[in-house]
Amino acid sequence: MSDRLGRPVADADEVRTQADHVRRHVLRTVARVGEGYLLQALGAVDIFAALYFSELRLDPEVPAHPDRDRCLLSTAHNSVALYVTLAARGHFPIEDLASYGRDGSAFEIISSEHVAGVEGTFGSLGQGLSVGVGLGLSARLRERAWRTYVILGDGEMQEGQTWEAAMAAAAFQLDNLCLIVDVNGMQVEGPTNDVLPMGEIAAKWRAFGWAVHEVDGHDVDGLLRALQAARETTGRPSAIIAATRPGHPISFLLGRMDHYAKLNAEQAEMALAELDGTAVLEVSS
Amino acid sequence: MSATVWATNTPTALKAYGTALVDLARERPEVVCIGADLTGPTETDLFRDSLPERFFNIGMAEANAVGVAAGMARAGEIPFVNTFSVFISRRAYDQIAMQVAYPRTNVKLVGFMPGLTTPGGVTHQAIEDVALMRALPNMTVVEPADANQISAAVRALADHRGPVYMRIKRGEVPVMASAAEQAFRIGRADVVREGGDAVIFACGLMVTLALAAADELAGQGHDVTVVNVSTLKPLDTGLIAEFARRTGRVVTAENHSIIGGLGSAVAEALMEAGASCRYARVGIRDTFAEGASAPYLFEKYGLSTQAIVDACRHVLDGA
Repeated sequence: MSDRLGRPVADADEVRTQADHVRRHVLRTVARVGEGYLLQALGAVDIFAALYFSELRLDPEVPAHPDRDRCLLSTAHNSVALYVTLAARGHFPIEDLASYGRDGSAFEIISSEHVAGVEGTFGSLGQGLSVGVGLGLSARLRERAWRTYVILGDGEMQEGQTWEAAMAAAAFQLDNLCLIVDVNGMQVEGPTNDVLPMGEIAAKWRAFGWAVHEVDGHDVDGLLRALQAARETTGRPSAIIAATRPGHPISFLLGRMDHYAKLNAEQAEMALAELDGTAVLEVSS
Repeated sequence: MSATVWATNTPTALKAYGTALVDLARERPEVVCIGADLTGPTETDLFRDSLPERFFNIGMAEANAVGVAAGMARAGEIPFVNTFSVFISRRAYDQIAMQVAYPRTNVKLVGFMPGLTTPGGVTHQAIEDVALMRALPNMTVVEPADANQISAAVRALADHRGPVYMRIKRGEVPVMASAAEQAFRIGRADVVREGGDAVIFACGLMVTLALAAADELAGQGHDVTVVNVSTLKPLDTGLIAEFARRTGRVVTAENHSIIGGLGSAVAEALMEAGASCRYARVGIRDTFAEGASAPYLFEKYGLSTQAIVDACRHVLDGA
């Protein structure tokens, strides 16, 4: 069973292709509902693509495989990008996402763990890293090689629990734990710097005893290098501080700070056209 | 005033929980022990010294401790999280709701020094932990009454797949008289004394006090039943309704607020069962307490044999 868990071999170009594919379906999926955590989702797509197509050892046929790598989406609000990525990785058909956000659908706007491949329920922010620490401790206790990845939003650093977990991960020297901080600079009320500035983010994680890698969250080569460096780090956990741009790369979405953004069919079509100039939006009612 | 929080002349035992947890963990390699800077006060120094590789002190960080436990449970461990009742319930409630109760992770939350058993004052007194834990879907809530019940409960918690909250006094705890009284099964209430005039539903430390109250009432010509309700959720509603109907006079006794705990749970069950009866609750009457010895506080806040006798007289005299 475990020989199906090899690390995916996609190179950076293939990751970029997958990221483009995911972006298109995120736009289509959100357009069907008309609104959503679209900007944060688009901003995180390159991180998801790097993880799911070049890093995580998963078997979509056996999503609960005991030796799989675990990836926890602590941000949870941008789950639409995770759903599309999981579909692209083979966890379920992309057509299943037609029900996204509708009453009765397992594909809730903020994910819970009803969907294959969604590891946990983290819409209450600041809780994901603690669970990641527990998974890391268990992997070590059981002498298993699987790794744990946690995607944290920069806003979640305002939750005290994040730092409780940061301290514990370093104290337990969890080198099988890799954190990706999606620094998109926004939270409900707008730019993080206007709500509660978090100062020197990389310095904070260094001070807590983590190996820190600062990358452009849209530079796939940089993300892959950082993930590899994290894998090769021993004796301490790794934090990849990934600077992302909400709405990337759609010109008329960049710079917006809408926590829950509207996206009508016309805008979605414009965005898709911007991505490749040929895409045709299929809007089902 | 007695110098203890159980009936005079009750035999006692030491560290029932800490001993039972080590015994369990020796048999079950998936049992892990998670603490939050209260190793000695939660009797888990025994675990730390016997099985150090499975002992994790997370520091003063209850929210993180619950998340860590949930992560370990997701990987197949059976984590026992040990701290004071007040800290696990008040400080980590959202984490328990989202990382333990909702996903049904196999985490056992053990809260020590419940109610007024701590001299630590209002900061350390969990008077509403049962109300909070009982309100969470998927959560089982137990409060064993004596050392043997605590030992049996440790095993029962591990055998029960899913979240459990257990509240227990640490250190010296009473030992009840008979094997029948000492038995413990999740979901089952136990009749520890039978009488036809009234019924006392008690839990935890209030059980020996209720038995002493029954002795005193017998001297006054009233035979009362005492039921040890060691599982607060799911409640043994069948047995509770049966004994309430039999006597029509009901008293509850708990080391907890009268709001949301045993008294509330029994009233809810009896109303839904259509069991009409006279009813009185013994417990902390919607007030905060203060720092003092447990016997003093039990006396002052009405968690006493006399308070149970008075409550019984109230439901008996009104008949």
